[in-house]
Amino acid sequence: MLRPKHVVRSLGLAVVLASLQACFAMRSSHGGGQSGFTPPRTLDPKAVALPPGYRIDVVASGLNLPTGVAFDEQGRAYVTEAGYSYGELWTTPRLVRVEPDGRLTQVAAGADPPWNGVAFYRGDFYVAAGGERNGGKIIRIGSSGTITTVVDSLPSVGDHHTNGPAIGPDGLVYFGQGTATNAGVVGLDNFDFGWPKRHPEFHDIPCRDVTLSGQNHTTSNPVSGAGEATTGAYVAFGTATHAGQVIRGQIPCNGAILRVQPTGGAPELVAWGLRNPFGLAFAPDGQLYVTENSFDVRGSRPVFGTGDVLYRVQAGAWYGWPDYHAGHALSDKEWFKPRGKPAPGFVLATHPGTPPPPAAVLGVHSSSNGLDFARNPAFGHVGDAFIAQFGDMAPNVGKVLSPVGFKVVRVNVHTGVIEDFAVNRGKTNGPASRLGTGGLERPVAVRFDPTGTSLYVVDFGVLTMGSSPQPRTGTGVLWRITRASDGAP
Amino acid sequence: MSRLPCIPIALTVLLLTACGTARRGEPLIGERRPPDAKLALGEQVFDRNCSQCHPGGESGLGPALNNKPLPRFAMKIQIRNGVGAMPRFSSNEITDEQISAVTAYLVWLRRQH
Repeated sequence: MLRPKHVVRSLGLAVVLASLQACFAMRSSHGGGQSGFTPPRTLDPKAVALPPGYRIDVVASGLNLPTGVAFDEQGRAYVTEAGYSYGELWTTPRLVRVEPDGRLTQVAAGADPPWNGVAFYRGDFYVAAGGERNGGKIIRIGSSGTITTVVDSLPSVGDHHTNGPAIGPDGLVYFGQGTATNAGVVGLDNFDFGWPKRHPEFHDIPCRDVTLSGQNHTTSNPVSGAGEATTGAYVAFGTATHAGQVIRGQIPCNGAILRVQPTGGAPELVAWGLRNPFGLAFAPDGQLYVTENSFDVRGSRPVFGTGDVLYRVQAGAWYGWPDYHAGHALSDKEWFKPRGKPAPGFVLATHPGTPPPPAAVLGVHSSSNGLDFARNPAFGHVGDAFIAQFGDMAPNVGKVLSPVGFKVVRVNVHTGVIEDFAVNRGKTNGPASRLGTGGLERPVAVRFDPTGTSLYVVDFGVLTMGSSPQPRTGTGVLWRITRASDGAP
Repeated sequence: MSRLPCIPIALTVLLLTACGTARRGEPLIGERRPPDAKLALGEQVFDRNCSQCHPGGESGLGPALNNKPLPRFAMKIQIRNGVGAMPRFSSNEITDEQISAVTAYLVWLRRQH
């Protein structure tokens, strides 16, 4: 039994700690991108920590906004370069082959950036062409570089784009389609992205009919330059909605996983109610998993404190966007209300289903993106998901007290336990540019080679945060992680 | 000991311990598998409910936990009542048994370095 003086001492300690931890509102943001960068980017594999028995090497550097990696029948690595980055940086999207000495050979150069990922299937590459300007596509690139459209006119001209793809056990091409907005309502934050000036009529499209609650938001009006505009959910900027209003669903839609035959045709719905389903991968048992980039604290309907999510994909399921996070209703004012701003509430009058539970909940603003599953006992951790965490884009997405992400994590998809796998050394976490080392910057994708013995990590490169994102061309890197023969994970 | 001196003592302890790194990831400290079923449960509860704001017990959206000597009963109070930007977790979200496990896990995690 505790003696009174121990109780008093502990109580005092608790009060002090509680009061200190209550100071979130008073502390400034310390995101990983909130630092400067002076080129060139230096590289030092020793700056990256791995579990005992593993090593990391640089395979290629000087990549231009790289986003994905895939391997041909001979095991050669190919990388997609996006051609577009937040911050309205436009370059040429490309597919390049990484030669054994690290040189890059262009296979194809195209249009419709950002090219967000690549998969290889029966002699061809399938690329998610994000389509920020003119709509998203899935394209097929032959070994000679010939580009063929598999599906086009995907609703990608907003905040989030066409992502993936992954080839299913059924031979179909699965891909993610992100939403136009953060939380269903076009607002001033979208004008900061730049797209409403190009596509003023664009907005989110549900996959099935939805009925609105009539929640509207009034902001200044950057279209007219004067006065105010009132905007509801699933409608263009400046359009008000009313309770009971039905928005007709259609396919293709936003916030969904879709699939299409490799030869083309109409896309089919796999799952919906997602926000930005970025990474897609099939586990060794054939189950599809997706990484979901969760809400930001921005725009007309900011949402606080929502970690990125790893979901086990159930066919036809609705995952909760724009009214739920990881199964929790946004109507819970205490959990999701940003300080000094209204609670998000519900924009839907009724919900299409009960959102399935997450397989794992990852860091808030971690931007948990590309993933793959270990398959070879020689590498270890068979059945675990490895996820690339791009890292926060604070303060634009919301405040963080310390950098979040900027590493590769390993997830047990049955227990939801998350463990760091590749992180930068140092007293605190963060990208190499912030830590002043030659380690990881912004991992955006991971993929095992066909033998399953090497995990390749696509590092997007330096992206610092000012009033808008500041991507730095030519700073991308392809890393490779292997396990030494005496390693014992 | 009177109640008043507890505060500066607590502050001193806090400042000293908060100077230490909160990093406890396997790449940095080696394997850290929870040694028994209760701690393993605590790890699962933590990763499903807490880690999104305190990744691995480090600072992220919220403050670091691994380098602060918060007693278990204070953790329980904080989980049940919330504090500052942290929401409260009801018994529907985290049971008493799970709170016991997760607080034990956090104490164990703090000592892994």
